[in-house]
Amino acid sequence: MLNIRIDGKGVTVAEGTTVLRAAEAAGIAIPHFCYHPAFPPEGSCRVCLVEIEGIPKLELACATEVRDGMKVSTQSSRVREARRDVLEFLLAEHPLDCPICDKAGECRLQDYFAEYGLFPGDFREAKEKRDKRIRIGGKLLLDRERCILCTRCVRFLDRIIGTSGLGVINRGNRCEIAAHESRPVDTIYAGNLAEICPVGAITDADFRFKTRVWFLESRESLCVSCSRGCNIWVDVHPGLSRAVRRKRVFRFRPRPNPDVNQYWMCDIGRAAYAAADEERHEAAFMPRSGRDLRLSWDKAFILISEKIKASRELGKTDRIAVVLNTGLTNEELFLCDRIFRRGLGLKNIFFADPPARKPDGFLFTGEMTANPRGAREVGFAPVPAGPEFLAAETELLLVFGTALAETAGKGSALEKAFSRIGTKVLFASRASSLDRLVDIVLPTAVSVEKNGSLTNINGRVQDLVKALEPVGECLAEWEILSRIGRELGLGGGIFEPPPALEKTRRAMNSDIPFFKVGG
Amino acid sequence: MNQAEKDQLGVMIRQAASRYPRKEAGLLPVLLSIQLQHGCISPEAELLVADALDIHPVKVREVVTFYTLLSREPRGTYHIQVCANLSCCLGGGKAILDHLEKKLGLEPGGKTADGQFSLETVECQGHCDEAPCMLVNSEYHGNLNPEKIDKILGDLS
Amino acid sequence: MEAARIALTSRFGTKCMDSLPVYLEKGGYKTARRVLLEMTPAAVIEEVKKAWLRGRGGAGFPAGVKWGFVPKSSGKPKYLCVNADEGEPGTFKDRYILGLAPHLVLEGVLIASYALGVGDAFIYIRGEDVRVAQCLENAVSEALAGGYLGDNIFGKGFSLKVQVFRGAGAYICGEETALLESIEGKQGRPRLKPPFPVSMGLFGCPTVINNVETLCNIPLILENGAELFLKNGKPRDGGTRLFGVSGRVRRPGVYELPVGTLLRDIIFENAGGLGDGLTLKAVIPGGISSPILTPSEIDIPMDFDSLSRAGSMLGSAAIIVIDQKTPIFDVLRHVARFYAHESCGKCTPCRIGTAWIRKIVERLAAGNGEGRDLDEIMRLAENMRGKTLCPMGDAAALPIQALIRKFRAELDLSIGRIQGKGEAVC
Repeated sequence: MLNIRIDGKGVTVAEGTTVLRAAEAAGIAIPHFCYHPAFPPEGSCRVCLVEIEGIPKLELACATEVRDGMKVSTQSSRVREARRDVLEFLLAEHPLDCPICDKAGECRLQDYFAEYGLFPGDFREAKEKRDKRIRIGGKLLLDRERCILCTRCVRFLDRIIGTSGLGVINRGNRCEIAAHESRPVDTIYAGNLAEICPVGAITDADFRFKTRVWFLESRESLCVSCSRGCNIWVDVHPGLSRAVRRKRVFRFRPRPNPDVNQYWMCDIGRAAYAAADEERHEAAFMPRSGRDLRLSWDKAFILISEKIKASRELGKTDRIAVVLNTGLTNEELFLCDRIFRRGLGLKNIFFADPPARKPDGFLFTGEMTANPRGAREVGFAPVPAGPEFLAAETELLLVFGTALAETAGKGSALEKAFSRIGTKVLFASRASSLDRLVDIVLPTAVSVEKNGSLTNINGRVQDLVKALEPVGECLAEWEILSRIGRELGLGGGIFEPPPALEKTRRAMNSDIPFFKVGG
Repeated sequence: MNQAEKDQLGVMIRQAASRYPRKEAGLLPVLLSIQLQHGCISPEAELLVADALDIHPVKVREVVTFYTLLSREPRGTYHIQVCANLSCCLGGGKAILDHLEKKLGLEPGGKTADGQFSLETVECQGHCDEAPCMLVNSEYHGNLNPEKIDKILGDLS
Repeated sequence: MEAARIALTSRFGTKCMDSLPVYLEKGGYKTARRVLLEMTPAAVIEEVKKAWLRGRGGAGFPAGVKWGFVPKSSGKPKYLCVNADEGEPGTFKDRYILGLAPHLVLEGVLIASYALGVGDAFIYIRGEDVRVAQCLENAVSEALAGGYLGDNIFGKGFSLKVQVFRGAGAYICGEETALLESIEGKQGRPRLKPPFPVSMGLFGCPTVINNVETLCNIPLILENGAELFLKNGKPRDGGTRLFGVSGRVRRPGVYELPVGTLLRDIIFENAGGLGDGLTLKAVIPGGISSPILTPSEIDIPMDFDSLSRAGSMLGSAAIIVIDQKTPIFDVLRHVARFYAHESCGKCTPCRIGTAWIRKIVERLAAGNGEGRDLDEIMRLAENMRGKTLCPMGDAAALPIQALIRKFRAELDLSIGRIQGKGEAVC
């Protein structure tokens, strides 16, 4: 371990640590563009220059390794001037696009200028005119006038994804980022390019012009589009005091976690932000060909529990079928186990999930739900649901989730099977073709609207923290299941009102060794 | 390029690449060869080279656009590069360039309609003792004056 | 001026091809044979260190010291790259060497490779000069056939492969790490240092890069001894230099003279002074990257330390002589345009700074500028200094500052004259 001083502050770091990382450890931020912790230092932007005692030239903080006894200044007048000078060079050829640029508010060039620049614009020459809306692949747009040639985008594709795709063509001030038309950028990780771009050169067409980032609040959550469990930020518009805003979630962004997703997430997960606000079920209803009949939760719970109790009394619980999904949280699956398997002794418990895809060797696991591992740890061997399983004399069917909608077309086997089932109840967050095939639709919360925990593909248990209030009358599945358990008079203490996730979690942790150890 | 040409190119690339400890080192020699043969490096050639050397085509384009001797657009049959740096200028380089511009009816960066000649100004060629100088394709001509230039151009056409 | 021990040029032939017989006649490869058969690699490196052979490409780093940094054992192959890119404006000496004494280069490469444990050497030659590249290729074939290259040279068990590698027109490829990038099939963008090429160079292996002229002195050092070599020159700067003189002199050409020869003597005695009716206005002593000197500054010994103390640079010893009829504004314009054109674009200050300065100069040339624009250029050049990834940033900034500082009055006058006329002069 080495002892150094940065701006008079002492800090101890391991050998091989760069000045920039050491400063971070000491709580001192050194401005940088081309540096990114996922890559080796590039040394091209020159903004991170700092003063090191005993060395006449200013040195790059990102690339210089500390030596024992080193004394670094990040705030001396020489350093401040150097930053100012580099910023001035960058802004000389940079267009004044802030009013129309999406990056405003989270742009390093803006931030550093505000902190280290604040000089009058003295560039009297003509700026280079370059193309401003180049499609480089997927939903990404490149603006070459804004680009500061930090080459993070190039290096991301070269090093992290390994497919390459972007390059720096030409020489000198004519340098530009370019793709080759024969092989455009084609990766499900392309969305990360818009993020790592420190300015508004690469932007996501999906987010373009939608909102200003200073209206958004970033809240922690987890991606649930596959079983990797990438940590994410949910960017939420908290709403306006005088108007109701339909759209709340504007963006998912990766939240760094060295053990799960490093700094990245894939575009499948990114696109899922829209699920929070699009086509949501907001109230319980019974579908009718004319006007749907509204229903209260209380009535719904009574209805469901009466039907279950009736079958239980007749000893005909084999007439009850339940279709679950592996997107449910650990706690929800635990409650399903306690209610349906152990509580009621149901045999017909199935799982319906979107069909699996091939994993890509990086983050995307191919499993299209967040918690298949959790389901297995709770004790389920997820048997897929198919129409033949459902047909056999089912009087009550409870379906959690809309994965069955894939096979629920008109005239389909599923439709026929459903028509033979007495009462069908669907618990879903969004509209689907299943709505017209069931008797009761009950609205559920989406992942960003509930608390719980999920187990990723590697067995890591991560907390899901509620980032938003559920819309309308939506309830999280664990709340629904707790209530059903209570109505059925099942014991175990976890069903005692009021429904509290903590109770369920404690029971789960104490009953199942996997969760007791913490996953 | 027809198939025979493509195959020939493939052979040339593999041969060139095999001379070096890493095959990517063959890129610049290969591109210089293609530039010599075809007068430019087409997107098709970029792809062939990329495949043969197992690198992404954008990396080939990076190299083509970086170096002065490589071009994406076809140059004239006789590509004239006039040194516009200091020693040549001290030797009367401006007059030489003016003369060429007038004679060929071109500005630097231009090409004659019949594709015979193209003109470019370049930086120091390392022939400062023979200032002013110019390159015609790969031949150097130094100690130039308008008469010598006329003779050189005359011999070419 | 003392008659100097002219050594390098004594090995020059008169024509390019079939140069081996001529070289052998002049005693070629005898030293290499003796070194390989009788000396240890370590002893060779010691001798080169004692000779104070400074790099002749421009940087002037002591070759022996550089060689000493190469790890003795590494597990990875080691490479030697000969920098024959010669892109520094005003420089043409390496072209002479390669054309007239390619075997001297190869003998130097052979001895150096032996000392360093190198099995593969690359001669990186600027791409434009096809004829000189062919000379070199021919010499390599001759040497191979003659047993001076290839397997088991002189029966000593040492093998060396030499390849000629052509550049493709980029000044920045004369910078050693950009040269390596170029050989590796990439754009010539300099690398971050550390790591240095001696530990992580070509293909990630220990690599030494030396200028052509530097390596040519190796056989001479080993033949005549380090002491004599050092005596020829100055303390810490041994031997002779090939001074290239161009511009407004009667006899432009290459002159081999001891390190430390006075600049005045080179211009007026060796190169015959300026032409009729011409008087000296300014001299660039070491290629366009070296700050310009006024006539009152030319009584200066041409060695690294003297020029450094005078605020300039010996660099590639390329002397460009400027006469009173040449406007300094034109010189400024050439310099500004050159660096903007050749900047690789990797780092911010050089990429934008050289372009910005050029834009201002072009605006001045078009008659839309004023005196204070020169102050702006000075400020931008100052802001570039010490901040760039490679020395090219300083190479651009320092000469421009020197021009403006030393010739301000004339530049102000020029700008005043151009203003409103929109007439570019050169």
